[in-house]
Amino acid sequence: MKKLLASAAIATLGMSGAAMAQECGEITMAEFNWASGELLANVDKFILEEGYGCDVELIVGGTSAIFASMDGKGTPMIAGEQWVNGVRELVDAAMDAGRLHAVNRGPITGLGEGWWIPAYTHEAHPELKTVLDIIEHPELFPSAEDESKGAFVGCPAGWGCQQININLFEAFDMEAKGWVLVDPGSAAGLDGAIAKANERGENWLGYYWSPTSIIGKYNMHPLPFGVEYAGDDNWNNCMSKPDCTEIQQTAWTTSEVFTLVTDEFMQNGGEINDFLAARVYPGPVMNEMLVYMSDEQASGEDAAIEFLLTREDIWTQWVSEEVAAKVKAAL
Amino acid sequence: MSLFTEFPEMTRTELRDFKKGIDGSFKDFIHAYGESIENFFKPLLHFLKWFEDLLVATPWPVMLAIIALLVWAGSRSIGLVIGTIISMLLIGYLGMWEDAMFTLALTTVATLICIVIGIPIGILMSKSDRVQAVVTPILDVMQTIPAFVYLIPIVMILGIGLVPGLIAVIIYAVPPVVRLTNLGIRLVDTDILEAADAFGASPTQKLWTVQMPLALPNIFAGVNQTIMMALAMVVVASLLGVHGLGLEVLKAVNSQYITLGFMNGLAIVAIAIVFDRTSQKFGKRLQRHSEVIHG
Repeated sequence: MKKLLASAAIATLGMSGAAMAQECGEITMAEFNWASGELLANVDKFILEEGYGCDVELIVGGTSAIFASMDGKGTPMIAGEQWVNGVRELVDAAMDAGRLHAVNRGPITGLGEGWWIPAYTHEAHPELKTVLDIIEHPELFPSAEDESKGAFVGCPAGWGCQQININLFEAFDMEAKGWVLVDPGSAAGLDGAIAKANERGENWLGYYWSPTSIIGKYNMHPLPFGVEYAGDDNWNNCMSKPDCTEIQQTAWTTSEVFTLVTDEFMQNGGEINDFLAARVYPGPVMNEMLVYMSDEQASGEDAAIEFLLTREDIWTQWVSEEVAAKVKAAL
Repeated sequence: MSLFTEFPEMTRTELRDFKKGIDGSFKDFIHAYGESIENFFKPLLHFLKWFEDLLVATPWPVMLAIIALLVWAGSRSIGLVIGTIISMLLIGYLGMWEDAMFTLALTTVATLICIVIGIPIGILMSKSDRVQAVVTPILDVMQTIPAFVYLIPIVMILGIGLVPGLIAVIIYAVPPVVRLTNLGIRLVDTDILEAADAFGASPTQKLWTVQMPLALPNIFAGVNQTIMMALAMVVVASLLGVHGLGLEVLKAVNSQYITLGFMNGLAIVAIAIVFDRTSQKFGKRLQRHSEVIHG
């Protein structure tokens, strides 16, 4: 009986899919200007064009620019990987007013910012489970400029996370424990520092975020802080400010990433919204794809094809069998 | 027909393999020699760190007096000394003293290394047209290649911090002193060289007692340019995490702090002007001095 219902459901889905194909029309979609954003947008584009018969135009931009345009002008209609933390108040306001809707509150799992160590450090020192354990051992992470001290690599100058790392460095009393806070200067400096440590098998402790090719390529291990998150109020009004007087130990805030659509699209998008809601990339798969992109120096479009060709096990779960067949035929 | 409309380029796979091949062999190189290269630069790192700590640890009035004395010794211009003291006091008052000391340390060490490397190369170039033909295009590359391009391999070998920053600065700043040493020696009047030959001077004597003194004003112009370029590179060195005024400029750029940006930028300018005027005046005095002897 269940089987029968399921196939009936699929049949109706398929039919409405066919109906959609005629009326899908033109869709504008954001292509965020970082690797995972490019990949996600290009996979969506391919599936929507080949599977649902839409005509998709990608609009390239960064978090704030895309959000502003979407909230203000209603284009693009879809933002696949909108990082919310940086623009939270604006996002909340737009969603409360009903201008935007989050059809998917986690298109990629296991993402976020925090402190990382290489996998081999984690394997060699399984007893160092959290930040609280690690900071007792600065001798494992000698600084190049002063080998008697441990090096903790923070955020490049001027990034929002720089102040948070400065405050956490103080909260965990790391200076007294024999650490120095190293400013990597730029994204290239930070990436280079991780790459150099991993190529040479050196221990490394510092800030980074996922999903990224660096994390995937070097199989970096996210370090739990060993303390609870001290709340949004503390985080937003103190830890991220230079004049924070009540610095306290806290875990890193959880990053939220939404797939946002405009109100108009929410009303008219039909089952495309169902697809967007079902479309979830497991973190390790996304990181693997990002490694592929950086190793092969592939564009988002190339990587999308590669993903659709090699990870059928993932994406066929997002769509009906009929749509999947169409996409496969187009590949 | 498509040959005329489309450029006959490498296929994507070939190009990708080509790029991956080079990247791969570079990584092998790092695995094999990375550590020895890093150890080779260790003494330099220790010296630079020591010098930086020294400048920061010296009490500011002492430091100010030393700077004023050096400017006086170089320029013999009381106006310049007063200007220097005022701008250094301003830098300190606006909370940039420590960063200025970091920058001063890096620039000074970079300039010294540039002189030590650059002048001998310049002399060699002036002695042999073949050396000149080889070195000149290398200098062209060093001066025009975007610094970001070589930052990546430098970081892969040496990580981030002082030494990689110093090397980036030297790559950019060494060409002028090489070029102008070469030019200065080549410009020495042939009549004077003939006279030296007539007096039976050996080539070494000729170089040290005739050519070098006469080339000094040009060499000094080269050193002056090198200092200027080293200071201009301070911000780029900060991309590799070098402390100092440059890092504050980067911070300002990334967070749209206009005042912070201008304050630190102008502090770099002030230091540059002090260096420039002092070394120019010193160069001019050298010239007068040599005119008296040889003129």
